[in-house]
Amino acid sequence: MSEGIPIVHIVDDDAAFLVAVARLLKAAGYAVRTYSSAAELLANLGDDAGCVVADLRMPGMDGLDLQDALSRETNPPPVIFLTGEGDIPTTVKAMRQGAEDFLTKRGPKEDLFAAVDRALARDAQQRQERTERRALHDRFDTLTARERDVLRQVVAGRLNKQIASDLGISERMVKLHRTAITTKLRVRSVAELTRLAQAAGVFV
Amino acid sequence: MSWVTIIWSMAASASLTMAAMNLLIWWKQRSARANLLFSLTAIGAAAFAYCELSMMRAQTPAEFAAALKWGHVAIWFVVVPLVGFLRLYLHAGRLWLAWVVGGTRTLALLLNFLIGQNLNYLEVVRLVPVSLFGEPVMVAQGVPNPWQIVAHVNVFLLLVFCADVTVTVWRRGEHRKAVMVGGSIILFQLVAFAETLLVFWGFVRAPITLSLAFLGLVAAMGYELTREVLSAAQTARELRENEARMSLAVGAADLGLWIRDFTRNEIWASETWRRLFDFASPESLTFEHVLQRVHPEDREAVERVMAEARAGKGQYETDFRLLLPSGEVRWIASRGGIEFDAMGKALMARGVARDITATKKSEQESHLLRQEIAHAGRVSLMGQLASALAHEISQPLGAILRNAEAADLFMQQASPDLDEIRAIVADIRADDQRAGMVIDRMRALLRRNELDVRPIAVGELVADVVDLVQADALARRVKLNADVSDSLPRVRGDRVHLQQVLLNLIVNGMDALEGSNRQVRQVDVAAHLNDARMVEIAVGDTGSGIPDDALPRVFDPFYTTKPTGMGIGLAVSRTIIEAHGGRIWAENDPRGGAIFRFALPLDEEAAPS
Repeated sequence: MSEGIPIVHIVDDDAAFLVAVARLLKAAGYAVRTYSSAAELLANLGDDAGCVVADLRMPGMDGLDLQDALSRETNPPPVIFLTGEGDIPTTVKAMRQGAEDFLTKRGPKEDLFAAVDRALARDAQQRQERTERRALHDRFDTLTARERDVLRQVVAGRLNKQIASDLGISERMVKLHRTAITTKLRVRSVAELTRLAQAAGVFV
Repeated sequence: MSWVTIIWSMAASASLTMAAMNLLIWWKQRSARANLLFSLTAIGAAAFAYCELSMMRAQTPAEFAAALKWGHVAIWFVVVPLVGFLRLYLHAGRLWLAWVVGGTRTLALLLNFLIGQNLNYLEVVRLVPVSLFGEPVMVAQGVPNPWQIVAHVNVFLLLVFCADVTVTVWRRGEHRKAVMVGGSIILFQLVAFAETLLVFWGFVRAPITLSLAFLGLVAAMGYELTREVLSAAQTARELRENEARMSLAVGAADLGLWIRDFTRNEIWASETWRRLFDFASPESLTFEHVLQRVHPEDREAVERVMAEARAGKGQYETDFRLLLPSGEVRWIASRGGIEFDAMGKALMARGVARDITATKKSEQESHLLRQEIAHAGRVSLMGQLASALAHEISQPLGAILRNAEAADLFMQQASPDLDEIRAIVADIRADDQRAGMVIDRMRALLRRNELDVRPIAVGELVADVVDLVQADALARRVKLNADVSDSLPRVRGDRVHLQQVLLNLIVNGMDALEGSNRQVRQVDVAAHLNDARMVEIAVGDTGSGIPDDALPRVFDPFYTTKPTGMGIGLAVSRTIIEAHGGRIWAENDPRGGAIFRFALPLDEEAAPS
């Protein structure tokens, strides 16, 4: 499977239904992989983009157990549950644990497609956010300890004079640190610096 | 007045007083025959004292002879009752000896009147005055009657009899009685015996003073009987004390006491008992009255238990219901015993009764609770079964749908992959067969019982089912009425299946009342012969009825309006009724509530037209 194309992982213990759903999604243009049990899926998942369509009721590890195991992955894929007959307590529990969607097996196919699309979109978005955050962290990691001290004060909105007296350095040194920070983080204004610091989860 | 007159009169009156007392005791208590016999002896002794006094005061030999003759009548009344008294009171002495003593005394009495002037003298020749207590009294001189030997033999035998009695009583350990009664009687008899021998054979010239010996004898017997009266009074006091203690205990335990006299068919009952059975205090009671209070359903059992106890079991212990005039039902625990006489005839029954309504009620409630739990268990089991079936069918149906949709999409492509589409069609067929097999299995499950068609009385059918759900109805506060005439013709059908239909309709009716706040919570079962010559059974409820748009669908499988329903009951009911060649339908009662009706064909052998 070529890099970048998201994969829909389908898991169901009922072979006939597994094949039928895979066929439908394939016909609709999705890249599909099928598994006959949750364990098999977990063993072969990999880190490709995609989502999981799982039967809620399966022997051994059931849908909710699978969701629990997936949430511990680096990039947890969104999970769509399929069920013969949805009962309310199970649905509520699944949604609380972050299930992307909860569909009946014989619901309209458009609902299924829409759910898969939403799940893939969310996966893509989550992956991108995670990539960006990692890049940002990389940039912050290049700052020296002193530069971090200065940055913390700048983000807090303090003037150069105050920072200098607080840190026991000259105002000129503060200005030099600020230039180094903006260069390393590739920002032009204090406002941009503050936003970036928040996005990276630094000093928040 | 002379001493002799005073002493003999006092002896006579003392004897008469004791006689009167004991006669009174016997009069009040007829079973006290010992007291009667004692009275006779005492009267005899008093009469003899009078005869003796007449003899001592006689003016002529003829007067003396006559007084002595009548004195023998008095002696007969002393001796014969005395023998009876000893036998009765001390339960001792040989019976044959008693008869011999009585017989010889009677023979002596006969000879007294037949030979000579009396038993002792063929002829009294003259009277001789002698001194007694310092005053002159008359003593007879004459020809002794040889037949008086019979009297002596009699007295000797009486002595032997008394000795026999005394020894027996002594051996029984009743020493006081042996000495007081046996001993004193023997002593006084000996004195009398000696005196008569000496006087009447002319060895000693002295007046006859047997009365004094008789008085001693009567006094000894009287003392014993009086002791008895005293100890009876003591016993009565103790009884009263016991009764007071008992009534305290009985009151504390809230027990009702009753005693039934079988011979007089009378019942005495304590206040508590009357309160339990709701009888007014002065009302006189018979067993029939009591039975009237017993709940009609328990009456037979109570009668049986009492009859068994009376027939020889001796004890009874039973719980039963009372149906009081107020309509209140009260549970009673009753136990007691029967007293029999020596012949084994039941004399009386004594018993206690206690109100156990509260206990029974909680028992019944826990029983109902158990039933409800069992019912809930059944329902959830059926729910699981239905859920499993739904899952099994939804799998292949889901696969079919998805396959069909996929095929649809494939065919919209510019160059459809026909191999793929062929595979899809084959899978659809396989999944369809799979779903069909699930349905066939379900059908086989339902068809498991073949119909066992027999003639059925509709009244019995309805009564059986009503009995079955009555407890459930009670617990759900639903009034369940059945109005089915016995004269309805029989129908043909499978009893168990028809019961299931009826049960289902009644339970549905009760379910319809659940959550309804209507005043009347009622399910009515009625049956009649309709114009199509079918027996039509109707089950109506006072719930909120069926929405008009739902009426045509209520018999569809899996159609339900109940939150926990499966929509199977009415569908199965329709299958059963139609298999019987009958019809089932639903309608709304214009007065409110729903009516489910089903009509069944008649049993044709019984109704040829």
